[in-house]
Amino acid sequence: MDTQWPRWEVFKQDTPHKPHQAVGSVHAADPQHALLTARNIFARRPQAVSMWVVRADDIFSRTKEELAADPVNMESEKTAALRPYVVFRKTSHRRSMTFVDYVGEVSARSPEEALKQARAKFTDVEALAWWIVPADRLTKSDPSNETIESWFAPAKEKTYKQQQYYATVGSHVSKHKTGREDTDEA
Amino acid sequence: MAVKYGIPTDPDYTERLAEFEARIQRGEKIEPGDWMPEEYRRQLIRMISQHAHSEVVGMLPEGAWITRAPTLKRKMILIAKVQDEAGHGQYLYHAAETLGVSREAMLEALLSGKAKYSSIFNYPTLTWADIGTIGWLVDGAAIKNQTMLAACSYGPYSRAMVRICAEETFHHKQGKEMVLLYAKGTPKQRQMAQDAINRWWWPALMMMGPHDADSPNTEILTRWGIKTKSNDTVRQEFINEHAPEILEAGLTLPDPDLRYDPQSGNWIHGPINWDEFWQVVKGNGPMNKERLAARRKAHQEGAWVREALEAYAAKQQKTALAV
Repeated sequence: MDTQWPRWEVFKQDTPHKPHQAVGSVHAADPQHALLTARNIFARRPQAVSMWVVRADDIFSRTKEELAADPVNMESEKTAALRPYVVFRKTSHRRSMTFVDYVGEVSARSPEEALKQARAKFTDVEALAWWIVPADRLTKSDPSNETIESWFAPAKEKTYKQQQYYATVGSHVSKHKTGREDTDEA
Repeated sequence: MAVKYGIPTDPDYTERLAEFEARIQRGEKIEPGDWMPEEYRRQLIRMISQHAHSEVVGMLPEGAWITRAPTLKRKMILIAKVQDEAGHGQYLYHAAETLGVSREAMLEALLSGKAKYSSIFNYPTLTWADIGTIGWLVDGAAIKNQTMLAACSYGPYSRAMVRICAEETFHHKQGKEMVLLYAKGTPKQRQMAQDAINRWWWPALMMMGPHDADSPNTEILTRWGIKTKSNDTVRQEFINEHAPEILEAGLTLPDPDLRYDPQSGNWIHGPINWDEFWQVVKGNGPMNKERLAARRKAHQEGAWVREALEAYAAKQQKTALAV
């Protein structure tokens, strides 16, 4: 059996004012390969302005149920240096195509400590799941306009990939439909 | 922390199962890390991996027509559609991986012939009209199923389905447009469209799987919120939408028993040939061997790319360490 390379989780940002959101994973040999594969798989359509990838093994995750059953052990080494952690969380059971959203950063000596801080800091909504990622393990797509154009703009012009392009097909589209597909694409 | 997959002999199984089922009743999503019955996990891996394989094998019947598309526009649409199928396979493998099964193991199961995929892809695509018909009927049937699964209780599967449905609707519409144009076209085009409908209609109805009475998994899948509608219900929705549209286009359906029942509002279909269905499932369909051979060839011929990228990554890591 041959290898499909390590697994990387992918975060996509749809517009500059939206948070990065976990959209799924890819297998890749290195971070740049992971970003490129993520772009081909998750940005075939609008919209995207930025993508992040991180090795799945570098993510510390806990669901609400896990935390209730087993509070996180906080034995972080006192000698370990403080480092920044990026925090993602899920807050809704609503039907969605994304999982956890970026909420911010904390500085801690271990992922466990980072989670504890995150739970104290981000309290506006109840969290159903947390992901804690060491900031230096995230690889980000180049933020320059040139890269954004070449990576994400082509999808915008390919309108034939959008269902709206075919909206006028047939006079009877709605006439016979008993239950229209609800795709959450309002 | 070890992921908890409960089995009935666990001392706390009954208690945890009750809480698990209550969560599903409340409309909560089960996420990786949460407790779940081992049987829930097993059923999901079976369904999701089968679904992923179907997307991957599903590229083959259509991919064969990319070079022969009649116009540049149709070629671009078809390329985008086949790219989507590849992406959908990736979304689904990802969802299955969250249950602790590796991509290597799933691909191995596909290439060895152990894993199943949708039987529909073991039928040949004989003319260009088949491409439109696949979009309209095969993707139409798939969307009905996928819309149902988008409501499922397992978070990663539900999210993959929501994403897939949004993209798949384009596949359905471009196919429908193509067939309707052929139905209004030259006598030869009409004949091609009719021939394609005749060949794909029954296999499309079989896509929803056996009748409810012959579908032993349905009860537990429904109880755990994996399936939210039965096979026959989804099949009926598909027929009710597509039969009148096809007839209105001036085409016919290859079912002499098909009739509209004003009382229920349903289009009632004649008997489905389940012998044919099981023959294809067992590997005796028209294209089973070709499909698997094509997958194996692609996998083998891609081996050097995987090796090269791995070597490149290893070299980069070494250089980074040396600096």
